[in-house]
Amino acid sequence: MSQPTLSNFIIKRPWLKRWMVPLSKWYKEAAGYRKLGLRADDLIPEESEEMQLALKRLSPKEAYDRVYRMRRAFQDYQYLSPIIKEIEQERSEREDLESMVIKKPTIKSKLPDIKSKVPDSVKSH
Amino acid sequence: MLSRAAIGRQAHGAARRSWQQQTRGLAEPASGSFQYQTGEANGVKFASRDIPGPVASLAIVAKAGTRFEPIPGLAEGLDRIAFKNTERRTTLRIQRESELLGSVLQSYHSRENVVVGAKFFQDDLPYFVELLAEVATMTKYQPHIFHEEIYPMMSLHQKSYLANTTEMAINSAHGLAFHRGLGVPLFPASSTPMKKYLDADSLSEYAASAYSQPNFALVANGVDNGELSKWVGEMFTDVPAQPAYQIKTEQSKYYGGEERIAHASGNSLVIAFPGSSSPTGPFYKPEVAVLAALLGGQSSIKWSPGFSLLANATQSAPHMFIDTKSSIYSDAGLLTITMAGSASDIKNNAGKVVEALKSVAQGVDKETFTKAKALAKFKELQYGQETQAAIELTGAGLVHGGKAYQIDEVAKSVDGVTAEKVQQIAKEALENKASVSAVGDLYMLPYAEEIGLKV
Repeated sequence: MSQPTLSNFIIKRPWLKRWMVPLSKWYKEAAGYRKLGLRADDLIPEESEEMQLALKRLSPKEAYDRVYRMRRAFQDYQYLSPIIKEIEQERSEREDLESMVIKKPTIKSKLPDIKSKVPDSVKSH
Repeated sequence: MLSRAAIGRQAHGAARRSWQQQTRGLAEPASGSFQYQTGEANGVKFASRDIPGPVASLAIVAKAGTRFEPIPGLAEGLDRIAFKNTERRTTLRIQRESELLGSVLQSYHSRENVVVGAKFFQDDLPYFVELLAEVATMTKYQPHIFHEEIYPMMSLHQKSYLANTTEMAINSAHGLAFHRGLGVPLFPASSTPMKKYLDADSLSEYAASAYSQPNFALVANGVDNGELSKWVGEMFTDVPAQPAYQIKTEQSKYYGGEERIAHASGNSLVIAFPGSSSPTGPFYKPEVAVLAALLGGQSSIKWSPGFSLLANATQSAPHMFIDTKSSIYSDAGLLTITMAGSASDIKNNAGKVVEALKSVAQGVDKETFTKAKALAKFKELQYGQETQAAIELTGAGLVHGGKAYQIDEVAKSVDGVTAEKVQQIAKEALENKASVSAVGDLYMLPYAEEIGLKV
């Protein structure tokens, strides 16, 4: 259902237009839907008879573009962060292996020294 | 930060256990001979021979060489991705741990097998059994590893291969002789496999077939069979019973033909004839090995051409490399005569090589024949005694036919070769089509017709 609007009233009065146009621009920026690649009409709720019929009347290209814009706007997941975590793990593993201290078991003790500062997992036998 | 789980609990515990149980002396082989003892655990075939010494070796021999790859590049990819990231540990970890234990990791592929193994101190056997089990069942086939590590190495190797005319000629001769299967070149001469065929998905599928129960065997030197059986049963638990897809094996057929490749640096000419299969295969002809020793080319004695016919025939070209080799595969073989050097030397001596072969077909004198037989037997026994070759031959024997390579039997069969048999082989070689491959300065290098061979 189309929104009630004062736009014609404002456009006819230049003194009002001068004030309202910058305000409307700021509002549109703040709404943020342009940054997701959506158009204003993509936001209109679909759940009404008029809207359903209007969507059926769209040309195929427009309908496809509308669906494309909506799918593109809704994907927000971390695709790079897990890879970055893996690379950081690889780097830190290399650092750990480079700074490892090897304790060979002495003749006296048959078991490796458990109380040493080096964690068990990085020690070799 | 490293956690205990990252190291693979069993490896740590197993390594500790093995160190604590240092009970075997260094000079006590249980079987006392060079025979391999075979066994099976969890469906995985293995063979071991107990030879004295502190260093043992263990390898997976998989029926996955260039002969069996459905698309090019997979066999090389399989041997290059061995010992890279697995589910339990990273490449770096594997390298560092095996360096700390004191060992050498090895992986290579041949026409029929991919061999992935290690040489290590005897006491570290459980660690390496587990490592090989991880390589076979838990390797991660990640696309970024291909781009970062595998393709660059394959490109570098390809460049060095393209500079080696002898390798190119040998691969070309195999291609002429066997077309597909054994004729697939060992290393690619172009980057097509890397761009088009080899990637993470195709390689992981190939590995699932190569590392399945019927398609690989474990071969060990210097370990006790009972111990190996125990560790294999414990570590190799997830091996799939059926390959992902059946690796086709057709009987290799010999075709023959001629190929000439222009090359600016280096010259090689390879003449190949049908040869003998491996001792564990169906067409074993020990007379081919004797013929190879008889023709020869390289002397085992310094400063003398030796007794071999080709060395004596090509004495006028001392700087040319000439050698005869009998390459054996599971169901076929190739007898190759390789000449490498300057183009004029090859041009002048190729005819003499064929003359020498024709003279063998006429008859060979007794003394030379005896020397050739002794040399062939010596080479076979020495080859079988060395761990590297024996591992591949034994593993291949187990996988292809269920028999391990026993060098005592091989020695006996070489003893039974007579001069007539060798003459017969030489006659057949000349009557049927040869495979002749020339790489280098094609203006100088002769055609097969010009030197008297049929193609």
